[in-house]
Order: sequence, then structure tokens, then C-alpha cells
Amino acid sequence: MKKYLAKRIAFSIFSLLVVVLTVMTLVYSLINRTVIFQTDDAWNKRSNNDRSYYEYTMYQKYGYLEFVNYKTFLAQKYEAKVGSNYTADKAYSADSAIIQNEKKYLDNDSVKEFISTYENEGYKIVYLKPILYSNGKAKPGGTGYLLATKERHMVVRLWDYIKQIIKVESKNDVQDPTITERYVRWEKDPYNGFYARVGMGTPHKYQLYFDSRFPFIHQNKIHLNLGISFTKYRGQEITDVITQPTGDLKTVRTQYPSKIGTDEYVDTAIDFHKLSWNYGELTEADKANYPDKYTVAGYQRKGLSMLENSFVIGLIATVCAYFLGLPLGILMARKKDSLVDKIGMGYIIFIIAVPSLGYIFLFAALGTTVLNLPYKFANAQVKILAYVLPTISLALPQVAGLMRWMRRYMIDQMNSDYVKFARAEGMSESEIFNQHISKNAMIPIVHGIPGNILGCLIGAIITERVYSVPGVGNLLTTAINGHDNGIIIACTVFYTSLSLISLILGDLLMAKVDPRITFESKAGR
Amino acid sequence: MENEKRIAENELFTFIDHDSIESERIIAPRYSYWRSVLRVFFRKKSNWVFIALFVLLIGCSFIIPIFAPYSPYENVTVPSTYHLSPAKAMSYFGGGGLKWILGSGGTGNSIFYGIWSSARTSLVLAVICAAINMTIGIIVGALWGYSKGVDQVMLVIYNIIANVPYILVVTVLMYVIGSGFGSFIFVFTLTGWLGIAYFFRTQVMIIRDREYSLASRCLGTPTLRIVSKNILPFLVSVIVTLLASELPSYISLEVFLSYIGAGLSANVNSLGRMIQEAQTAFLIYPWEFWPPVAIASAITIILYVLGQNLADASDPRTHM
Repeated sequence: MKKYLAKRIAFSIFSLLVVVLTVMTLVYSLINRTVIFQTDDAWNKRSNNDRSYYEYTMYQKYGYLEFVNYKTFLAQKYEAKVGSNYTADKAYSADSAIIQNEKKYLDNDSVKEFISTYENEGYKIVYLKPILYSNGKAKPGGTGYLLATKERHMVVRLWDYIKQIIKVESKNDVQDPTITERYVRWEKDPYNGFYARVGMGTPHKYQLYFDSRFPFIHQNKIHLNLGISFTKYRGQEITDVITQPTGDLKTVRTQYPSKIGTDEYVDTAIDFHKLSWNYGELTEADKANYPDKYTVAGYQRKGLSMLENSFVIGLIATVCAYFLGLPLGILMARKKDSLVDKIGMGYIIFIIAVPSLGYIFLFAALGTTVLNLPYKFANAQVKILAYVLPTISLALPQVAGLMRWMRRYMIDQMNSDYVKFARAEGMSESEIFNQHISKNAMIPIVHGIPGNILGCLIGAIITERVYSVPGVGNLLTTAINGHDNGIIIACTVFYTSLSLISLILGDLLMAKVDPRITFESKAGR
Repeated sequence: MENEKRIAENELFTFIDHDSIESERIIAPRYSYWRSVLRVFFRKKSNWVFIALFVLLIGCSFIIPIFAPYSPYENVTVPSTYHLSPAKAMSYFGGGGLKWILGSGGTGNSIFYGIWSSARTSLVLAVICAAINMTIGIIVGALWGYSKGVDQVMLVIYNIIANVPYILVVTVLMYVIGSGFGSFIFVFTLTGWLGIAYFFRTQVMIIRDREYSLASRCLGTPTLRIVSKNILPFLVSVIVTLLASELPSYISLEVFLSYIGAGLSANVNSLGRMIQEAQTAFLIYPWEFWPPVAIASAITIILYVLGQNLADASDPRTHM
């Protein structure tokens, strides 16, 4: 069993890698990379060479290429030579100004050194010529740049991506000479009176803490990072985007860490459990409010995160679907060819054949006009009612699917020998159905349960769009419309790993329910 | 009574010569598979109704666009023609026959002509995709199920590709390749056959090891012949069942992709695009939204039901 599982997991990881590499190759090499600037204000503000240089910095940030600026190279060179005050050095200023001279820059020794060093390392030299007015002054953004660029190989890109997916904080992570003692230990949490695991030297102050928000126990130790968004949430980590609440700021009456024990209270939305290390200079206010350099804070927001929104709706819908669909399927099988069966089959055909868009809009139209339920999520007066229609339109098609398969499996079982034998023994029909047939028919149904539950994390594309639910369902589709390669890769990893996990879980669950199924190959087979 | 008795026996019976060829003939009604399929299929009265509806749909979507070419931008310069309800459009344009019977859309376009022109695109798309996918899927699936060497290789490929959600494959490919009619077909057929092939593999495997097949192999029948003569005929009803769910699925998929903005390009009329354009205000201008939805649903339901009934009829066990 363990051997089989290890094999399955290994193969799953292998296929995940293949899929991610394929999608990366497709997305990074076939899509014109300039599309990421279409809606970028910072790009629009810049012009001429500044714009090109900005493009290179963004390409580097998003993993297309690596580049070295000649200025950085010079700075390193002169810092080694004359020390940290190199900017005052005359030779440095001469060397750095020479690239503004289109005709002479190639004669400069530093430039020659720069070009030969990086060309040997496989870089390509890019010279952005200075763009000048006729009087010799540079046009806005027209200063010249000398860069060495190297495209990143797809496998390198994949490897870098994999490396950054899981980050575990340790007490030696923050490089700062002011830290005298590094530790991670249990301390009394001043914000709720419980205990919390507090670190010094870790990027986040609180490694593990409790609060009143579901699921009540939180951690900052292990970070899952699926990459950064390109265009939609410029530069933000996608995992943060989908897991952080989307509502208004939640202001509470609390105290700054330094003020604990005094009677100085503030109304703020800062979440002191999310404090992280400040690598820059502390302001006066920071020094007054915080005892240490953990001063960078996140904010508390109301409401649910995108992931939670999708998951709540999906989970309720799935649970309802199982509670409705399975009994209805059993009923249809018992009353085969009766009116109930025919109505049920009509409904199943309707759901299978009609495009999902059609019936979701039909449910929306019926729900808003007949039942007077809120239509758009954001406009709902009573927040809880906004969840009703999306949940219904997710549950109803699932019900049809479950009815269909339950009926099918039941009817298949009804003709088997053990049923005839049970009947011959004189068991009542309901005994046969409830104790024998439905148990056997459940086995293939059980296989789909983990997939359906984990599938809620992916969200529902059409339903969420129709009702404007702030969920994760449209992450991929909006990313595609907005040319956000980062989100596309993240979605690929997320969706594919979810489906791999649910397949394995489904198989395990099925083996648990049905003792006849084993994964060990028996001798002699 | 007496007269009859007098007739000599040799007058009642005549001797005929022994005919060895004639004696081999089986005196039973000839059984033709396809004729029986049709007989069973048409025995069901509802199928006549569905066939009539199907012919009507096909006729409308292929004939109406010929006589009344649909151009979405014919009235784009006249904003007063936008979003007219059927009654208003009829009075605005002064009747105009069937053209304005369903009102006008967001650019003063005729909804009635629009749905038929779009339905034609959807039907052609579905038929081409289904034909390609089914052909490749059945050929590959038959070999995959029959040969154990192919099975090992294909299972690895299948396990990798099948783990990726289909929506992801389709949307990412549409994003990468672009959104013409040709690239649409390419995207749908690139991995679409794999699921069919896998389904088919399982079916073939079940029949492959039956006794008659085994006997045939022992007698030295070549693999290709076993596949085509012993196994495939058994699977006609399976193929038709698959076809019944494949054809509508492409129409639904096109509608879905257009809705999320990854559909056909703007110069191709499609049901998905009509729905996508009308969906934002579907409560205000219902006449723009429901006709394309209804046509798409009608096509898919009719194809599905006809296909299912044909599959039932093509099962030889129903030919009694």
C-alpha cells in the first residue's frame, strides 16, 4: 500500500511538472510579451529609453530574462576600487557619462570590460542610444542605457518557480546586525491572553497565534507562493490575493506593542499579528510605537477572502447535492419507468443537453423575478441572501449528475445474482434496496467525493460571473483576458495539483469503503 | 371424400432431384442490421417529432442565411434602432416580414437573422470537431485497447493530460493560438480525442478477450481484421451514444468560451457571442438574450435525444 502510494505521488508530481513546463513554454514563448504593458500606468508615463529600460526591469521581475545595467557594473567596480564614496570619484563619473556619447562610448575601457565580461557569459549587449534634441540635450526619458541581457531558459525558469513555491521561515532569515539574540519561543500573546509562538530573526514576528477569526489558529511560518500577478494585481503574490479578505477595513480599539500596559488606545485596522521585519529605516512614529523592528503590518479586513467565498458557496452546494441527488437517484431506480423516473430523466437530459449558461441564467431570472432574491452579489441588502442563488445554481446541475449515476449504478446492481438470492430468501424490497443495492452502488459514487469537495476551491466560472461573486472562479479567465501570465501559471499549478490530489484521495476512499479493492498486486496474478 | 382417395399417390407428389446448393439455404426472413436499426428507431413515435424539428432547425440555419444574409452592423449608424423590443421593431421598420419578429439587438441588428446565421456556425463547428475527434479517438482507442505495448505508452500520456482540467487546456490554448474558426477546431481536437480514445480502449479490452475473439486469433486472423470485423461492430451503439453526447458538448463549449471572452473572433457570428453580448442586460432586453439560448438549447437537446434513441436502436438486443 505504501509503495503503491509513493509511486502514485511520484507520478503525480512528475505529471504536474510536465504540465507546468508545457504551459510555461506556451505562455512565455508564444504570447507577445509586450501585452503586459497594455494597462500599465507606470509604462504609459515613461517615454523613449526610460520606457524601454522599464520594460527590461519588468521582464526581469516576471522571469523572462536577466539583465545587468552598466551603471550597476560600474558601481561594483569602483566600490571595490575606491570604497563606498565612489560617486565622488572622477574616473567613475567619466566612465558613467560616456554612454551618453553615442560615438565614443565603445572606446572606453570600462565599457569594453563590461561588454567582454558579459558577452563571455552568454549575455547579449543592448545599447539604448541617447535620444537628443538638436541642441544636444536629452529628450524626456532619452538618456542612454547600456545593458547586458540574457533570456532565461525554460527549465531554469521552472526550477526557480518551484524553488519559491514553499518558503519556511527560520530564525536566521533576517540579515541584520542589530539583532542580538535570535529565537523562536512561546510567549504570552498580549492581544488575547493566550500563548503565541514569537520569533526574533524570523521575517514575521508571530509564527503561530490564535484569534477570533475562523479557523482560529493561524501561522506565518510556512508560506505558499504560487507566483506573482503580472497585470491584474500588479506585483502582488497570488496566494495573498486569493486568501485575504476583500471587504472594508475592520477597525478595532487596540494598542501598539510599545503601549501595552499603558492606557493609550488607538482605533486602527492594523493587524498586529501580521507584523513583519522592517528592512528600511524606522520613522519616529515607528520607534515610539514598536519595541523592535517588526513594524511592517497588514490590515484587517471584513468579509471573506476570494477563496473562502468560492469554497463556502461550493461546499454548501455540494453537500445539498449529495443529500438531494442520492435519495432521488435511488427513488428513480426503485420506481423505474414510473412517472417519477420519467420526470427525473427529463431533468437530467435538460441539464446534460442545455448549455450550462442557459440554465444558470434561467435560474437567475426565475430567482430574481419570482422569488425576489438579490441578483448581483455586491448589491444585496442582506448579505446572507446573496449566497442563495449562486448556491442553488451550483447545486441543481450537481444534483442531476448524482441522480443520473446513482440511478445507473442501482439499476446495474438490481440485476445481479445476490439481489435475486436475497429476494429468494424472502427479504423485503426496502431491505434489499437500503442494505444491499445502495451500498454497492455507492462505491463508485464515493470516488468522486474528494474531487467535488476540493473542486469547490477552484470556484465556478459562470455562476460567479453571473452573480458577480468575488470568488476565485474567474481568476483564470480574467487572467487570460488581461494577459496575466503569472496568474495563468499559478492556476495551472493550483488546478492540476487539486485534481491530482482528489484522484488519489478518491481511490483511497474507495478502497476504504470497499474491502474488495486493494492496491497491492497479489502473487500469482 | 371418395374421389380424393382415388387420386393416385404419384399425382400428389412429384420427385425432384437433390440440389445440394438449394439445401444449404436458410429459409428465414433476411436480417439486415441497419434496416432493423431504422425499424426500431422509427417505431418510436416521438422520434418522428424530433426528426421533424431537427430538419426544421437544419433547414432554417442553412437556408435562411443564404436568402437573408445577416450583417450585424447594417443599422449601426442609427442609434434609434438599438435594443428595440419585437413590437417596437416591427412598427419602426414597418413589418419587414420575419426579420424583426424577435426585435433588434445592441447595434440595430436583426435578432432573428442573427440566431440562424450563428446556429449555422455552431452546427458546422460541432460536426467538424465531432467528426475529427471521433475518428481519431476510435482508431487510436481500438489499437490502444488491442495492443498491450501501445497501452503502456498511451496510459502515461493519458495520465498526464487527463489530470489537467479541460477548461484550462482549452482556454490557455485559445489564449495562445488566437481565436479564429480554424484555431477553434484545432484547440478542440488537440486533446479532445484522448478522452474518447480512453473510453473506447476500455470497451475494446472487454470484448478483446471474449472466446470468439480468442478463437479468431488462434485461427490466425490479422490484428487489424480482428479489430475491424470482430470488435468494432460490437461497439456501434457505444459509438452512437458517445456521438450523442459529443455533438452537443461542442456547442455548449463554444457558448461557454465566448461567454468568458475566449471565444470565436468578432467577425464570426456564433451563438456564444450573441449570448455574451446580451447577457449583461438580460433582464432589461430579454428578447436579445433568450432566442440564442433557446436555439442553442434546442439544438443540443434534439441532438442528444436523437442520438440516445439511435443508440438504443443500434443495440441488437432491441431488434426482437
